Amino acid sequence: MISLLLALAVGSLFASGTYLILRRGQIKLILGLALLSHGVNLLLFGSGRLTEGRPPIFLDKNVYAETIASSLPADPLPQALILTAIVISFGITAFVIVLVNRRHTVTQTDFVHGEYVPLLREGDPFDFSDSSDNVQHDWLAYEVDEVYDSEDLLPGLPAMPESERDESTAMEEDSYQWP
Amino acid sequence: MAVSANLLAVPVAAPLLTAALILLFARWGGRRRIRHQIALTTLALCLNLAATAILFQATAGRGERFVLQLGDWSAPFGITFYGDGLSATLLLLTALVALAVYPFAVATIDYHRDRMGFHPLYLFLLMGVNGAFLSGDLFNLYVFFEVLLMASFVLLTIGAQPAQTNSGIRYVVLNLLASTIFLIAAGVAYGTLGTLNMAQIAQRLTMASPAVRTVFAGLLLVSFGSKAAIFPLFFWLPASYHTPPPAVTALFGGLLTKVGIYTLFRSFTLFFPELLVSWQPILLTISGATMLVGALGALAQPGIRRVLSFHIISHVGFMLMGLAVAQSGNRLAVGFGLGAAVIYLCHHMIIKTALIMAGGAVELHMGSDRLASIGGLVTRQPLLAFLFFMSAISLAGVPPFSGFVSKLSLLQITLDTRHWFVSGISLFASLLTMINMMRLWRESFWGDYNRPSRVPVRILQSRIRQQLMLTPVAVLVLLSLALGIWGGPAFQLSMKVAQQALDREAYIEAVSPSSPISTPGAEQPLVSLQAYFSDHPKAISGMTARPLLESR
Amino acid sequence: MPELYLRLLNRILTPILLLLAFYLLFRGHNLPGGGFIAGLMAASAIQLQILSRGHRRVRRTFGPYLNNGIGLGLAVAICAGFAGLLEGTFFKGIWFNLDLPLMASIKLGTPVVFDLGVFLVVASFTTSYLLGLSRVSDTAAHRRDEAASRSGYSTAGPDQADRGVATGTRAES
Repeated sequence: MISLLLALAVGSLFASGTYLILRRGQIKLILGLALLSHGVNLLLFGSGRLTEGRPPIFLDKNVYAETIASSLPADPLPQALILTAIVISFGITAFVIVLVNRRHTVTQTDFVHGEYVPLLREGDPFDFSDSSDNVQHDWLAYEVDEVYDSEDLLPGLPAMPESERDESTAMEEDSYQWP
Repeated sequence: MAVSANLLAVPVAAPLLTAALILLFARWGGRRRIRHQIALTTLALCLNLAATAILFQATAGRGERFVLQLGDWSAPFGITFYGDGLSATLLLLTALVALAVYPFAVATIDYHRDRMGFHPLYLFLLMGVNGAFLSGDLFNLYVFFEVLLMASFVLLTIGAQPAQTNSGIRYVVLNLLASTIFLIAAGVAYGTLGTLNMAQIAQRLTMASPAVRTVFAGLLLVSFGSKAAIFPLFFWLPASYHTPPPAVTALFGGLLTKVGIYTLFRSFTLFFPELLVSWQPILLTISGATMLVGALGALAQPGIRRVLSFHIISHVGFMLMGLAVAQSGNRLAVGFGLGAAVIYLCHHMIIKTALIMAGGAVELHMGSDRLASIGGLVTRQPLLAFLFFMSAISLAGVPPFSGFVSKLSLLQITLDTRHWFVSGISLFASLLTMINMMRLWRESFWGDYNRPSRVPVRILQSRIRQQLMLTPVAVLVLLSLALGIWGGPAFQLSMKVAQQALDREAYIEAVSPSSPISTPGAEQPLVSLQAYFSDHPKAISGMTARPLLESR
Repeated sequence: MPELYLRLLNRILTPILLLLAFYLLFRGHNLPGGGFIAGLMAASAIQLQILSRGHRRVRRTFGPYLNNGIGLGLAVAICAGFAGLLEGTFFKGIWFNLDLPLMASIKLGTPVVFDLGVFLVVASFTTSYLLGLSRVSDTAAHRRDEAASRSGYSTAGPDQADRGVATGTRAES
């Protein structure tokens, strides 16, 4: 029973995570990645032995011998694996959130380019280097449910305030900028 | 000279400790602190090179195998580092590539990225790659994968230009998906085999059901193949490799996909040697498609680095072809295919790094890498033109260089095993490579001098920086030449490495995972378990008791 | 002031959280706990500070030392591994008993040192991440305020007073 529930949970987490990753919005992308990592964690949890009321760590050797004579204790390794996987996915989710945010401030859009965009542009198929002019984003209509992400709700945004320009956002004036 | 197994810890520990020290003292030193960081990083890279050279000499030269059980915990319980000829070869090449790219990076990375922590990130990436080559445990491999991915994410997106963040999203998401699939594979392995130690997995897979083997192999092929950029899974690579600074691209092109290739080599030779025969059509089809798509895609690309990143994909196909014929050696020795793949790997890591660095130098001189708008650099930079030409014909496989030896040996084994079609494709892909390389050289160096960018490049006004940029390229080209001239001894060495990698029993024996409970299927009385745990008090836990449950 | 309760609570909760973090750190070898959990606990104490006092003041206090904290933690952890070389293997645990007058003897060893390194890394990394995100939300709030004031009504929050302080402090850091 419990394994059936676990399988259902893992399956639905994978399905919804995959669905969210395939959407265009980046907040959904982050949520989808998080759901996928939860699904894998549950899968790892299910790969161990599912027992009830028999903890895996024994401080006393004799208690251990008694316990193991009757029935097997829980398996501690999946929990360690899950903890490690959680740590890693925590770090990576943090990085992706910061990346998406930075991308938003740089390109002013929450939208990941579709493959059809460059095909319609002349010349270089993979060139987004001059995407700073917002004109080319305009004809990419947002999905209907993504309007809340749109900056159109806040017309006429000011530039970044002076107090926010610290050394992490400043560039050297005369350094060569890679395309 | 006796080599201690503790040497295996150096390629991981030295970069990590140095990066930690750099971070620790990053606040002090004023304007000189970048210089201190550069000095420390160079020291760590040299130490890494020395350690891996000793390791290579002991493993590939004398045929030894090293196993380091971290903290003296016996095999299935603790973390295992395993070093044999294959991993030592890759470690040595990694150290070489990292040390060669570093002067180029020092010369070309801008001050902004310097301050954002480029140097510790470089070391973290090196540590992750080295750890992935050394790891003898599936979950530990996952952790090192994540370490190198994390470092590569930051190296790719540091600076936050719009193009960088665009490509960064794709790179991050596709690589994370591959890691997730790998983690699923690890969960399947633990759920069905009850272990994550690679030697023990190899031991128990022989008794597992074919369904388990197929699922496990498929998951590993998809995840490792996605890291290695094989045919249907390569999209993250050309979408991202042209956006960071060329030094970062050179490092990525030299190292990252090779981790995927190494893990494919390791997992197929260790876990499923029989699948190398039964899955041979699949592997050959994938490799042919990878070669063809890479070469054809490169033909359509307009920029130097985009062409070169498509060629990485094409070359991954060559190595995969070597793996596919690894088990079938009828007239030639068994393992000839893997030996050819190993020498191809060496050739590719050396010359691809050199070529990307030379291309980066062109890009820096011209201010752009669009082939349509640049040209005529040969009059201003004759040495750069010469080095670019040498590495280009080496990549295409012209005789005195290493490309000829490696391609010839791969072709020999595929023709000998009568895979006419795939060997024809590989010849065609080589031809396309030649065309592409000539196109690159002609467009960027021949014709009238044409420099589209008006931005003055301050870096190039310093002579020492120019030397720092060109010297590593020259050294790598010389290495490739040496590998081509001494092709016979080099090939014998790589054959030794391949046969060492194909010897699964020796791997299992070297790691010798103590298995208190017998493998699933065999009956084992419960008493022996208690006897084992009274002998090994450290192992007090129900950790390995799982197969017992299945046997009851 | 809306943060009044938080500020009061902060004085009580922060020491408790930090003590709990250290408790979890040192019991972590044999019992549930350990460096990662303790680091998160300490970072949550700092997040409480960010919520109650504004991220600028917290950044002024901790900000310059976060990278050093990560480096120190990594160095400590890897040195705990090198200590194992004295007994022959990398990362081998070395244990010794510490006899304190009041309590019974405490078992200390290199794994505890390793955990301490993990604690430092996790606490510093999480704090820098939280500080970065709080700056992001602050920028968004600032933009919303600007847009709102342009359209005629103001929702200037209590954070405005803080901003004046920050422009002065940025020069020194």
